[in-house]
Amino acid sequence: MTEKHEHTAERHLRKKHLMLDPLPRGQMNAMVMESMHATSWKFWVVFAVLAAITAWGLFYSWGVLMLDGLGMAGVNRPSYWGIFLVNTVFWIGISHAGTFISAILRVFKAEFRRPFTRAAELMTTFGLIQAGFSILMHMGRVWLAYWLLPYPNQRQLWPNVHSPLTWDLLAITTYLLASTMYLFLPLIPDLAMARDRSTGWRKTFYKILALGFRGTEGEWTHLRTAMNIFAFAIIPVMFSVHTIVSWDFAMATRPGWSSTVFGPYFVIGALHSGMGAVVVVLAIVRATMKHMDYFIRTEHFEAIGKLMLIISMGWGYFFFNDYIVQWYGGDVWTKQLLHWHEAGPLGWMWFAMLIFNVLIPWLVLWNRTWRSNPWIMLTVGLLINVGMWLERYIIIPISLTINRMPFTWRMYEPGIEIPLGIGTLAFFILLYLIASRLIPLVPVWEVQEGQMAHSLKKVGRETVVTVAELE
Amino acid sequence: MTTSAQTSLLAVFSDIEPAADAIEQLRLLGIGDDCMNVISGIPVTEAMLGRPRQWTNVPRLALGGAVIGFGAGLFLAFVAPNLYPIVVGGRPYASFPPAVIILFELTMLVMLLATFLGVFLDSFFPNYRPMHYVPEISDGKIAILIECPPADESRMITTLRKLGAESVQFAEAQHL
Repeated sequence: MTEKHEHTAERHLRKKHLMLDPLPRGQMNAMVMESMHATSWKFWVVFAVLAAITAWGLFYSWGVLMLDGLGMAGVNRPSYWGIFLVNTVFWIGISHAGTFISAILRVFKAEFRRPFTRAAELMTTFGLIQAGFSILMHMGRVWLAYWLLPYPNQRQLWPNVHSPLTWDLLAITTYLLASTMYLFLPLIPDLAMARDRSTGWRKTFYKILALGFRGTEGEWTHLRTAMNIFAFAIIPVMFSVHTIVSWDFAMATRPGWSSTVFGPYFVIGALHSGMGAVVVVLAIVRATMKHMDYFIRTEHFEAIGKLMLIISMGWGYFFFNDYIVQWYGGDVWTKQLLHWHEAGPLGWMWFAMLIFNVLIPWLVLWNRTWRSNPWIMLTVGLLINVGMWLERYIIIPISLTINRMPFTWRMYEPGIEIPLGIGTLAFFILLYLIASRLIPLVPVWEVQEGQMAHSLKKVGRETVVTVAELE
Repeated sequence: MTTSAQTSLLAVFSDIEPAADAIEQLRLLGIGDDCMNVISGIPVTEAMLGRPRQWTNVPRLALGGAVIGFGAGLFLAFVAPNLYPIVVGGRPYASFPPAVIILFELTMLVMLLATFLGVFLDSFFPNYRPMHYVPEISDGKIAILIECPPADESRMITTLRKLGAESVQFAEAQHL
């Protein structure tokens, strides 16, 4: 190989991999700060539209629901669980990607994770907020939510701690708190960086949140130790949350729900929608925020695309496992239910679910060029999320239509759930939009740490990437 | 910290290598490890700088949290159902399989809360008092904060400059 070819290969590798294309830390800091400060009129238009949708969909509609009661919603016998619960499961699913990307990839030292862990972790916290809202909406009389808490009281009510609903309360609370703390810990050094480069109200804001962090040896040691504990501990918590959510269904002896495979099926489904959402967020952040094309490159879409393909295959496997066991069992009500799924009036949802969750990812993601394209990945990510929402809709209101008492069979028709669902989606995006202007979306210190660890090495005639173990 | 007996100097280096050399030289000049502190914008391990291992209470606090959480779980899963009995389908008030879930969630919850709290306790967060710091540190520089007798000041400054320090200044505590 000539010297010219070697240089070309090296240049290509540096252009492709963020970890091999370092910039001075000060410049990276400036880029991240500028990406937070640069807002065009388009940003404010989108902000205003989302704020208006949130005000109407979430707050006004919720007020109506509280004043007029759950009769405003379509939930009624036999479908007592409707879109509120569909959205709860959906948002908890979205929230799984943050932990998956951040904790699992951190534990396994997958280097490509570095620039986008925070963007993913934010999804966890914001997704769980929407999940919490959806549960509270489902309760109707939300001001009595504290009745869920297991404490002795004068009403002689004591929630049964051995009920899956109490497990839910514990699991979601644990996950929300744990993921928020896990988001905050690695953010502290970046908040300190922002504090050092800000003036006015932003300076005060970052100063308060940075807690006085300077980066002393002791501070880094405590922070790193805590982050390691979190990364290992939050993984089983993440698995437990969606497993427990699945047990809300699986513990009931209903056709279609009483399945021993529901735990892992729900977990893989959560990862499927979560990874799809991460790729959507990354494509939008890269396209709309200044300098983000330096930090988020096609290599990241390519790597996430591979994960999405594996997860899609896993989802297909668990779906088939769940399906064939029920089908083979031959129970008359389950047979009716499976027929209702596929050939009922909402059978199109069943087929759309399979097309969006399996067919499209498998057709697209095997190809490196396609999965390196942010816009293709954004489309696939969006379709997966539509598919996963439909999956939850099929499991909850559609499956509840068919039970062992045919005289109660009735189609579920959502009412106020629709604006409320749109409201949670708008609020999720709005929170993200606000965060993108207040919080450094790229963990600059982690990127710099990764860049220090990476280098190019000649092996024979080839130039290859090497990574040093710095921790 | 500047006291009548000691002077604080803050030397800023552009890279790990000269900083590590400077630490070694300072030690030869009689500055003990407890009179130095390294401040950096990325986690630089003690081994890289040839510094003694930092002590942290975070794992112990995490373990303590796990024990407390487990205890709370035992109370909620086994004691509380007997204090406030609810008969569900003729099942026992407290049984092991569902207790596993409560034990797990509460153990993890309190363990992670204790870990988080541990960072605050060990690092003295939040701390808004004036401190020795220069903003260049978060731009990737490495600073060494040295406490030395006033008589050694000029010798230290000369040595640190020779070893590649970009700047050496008397450290003044300031609001961050």
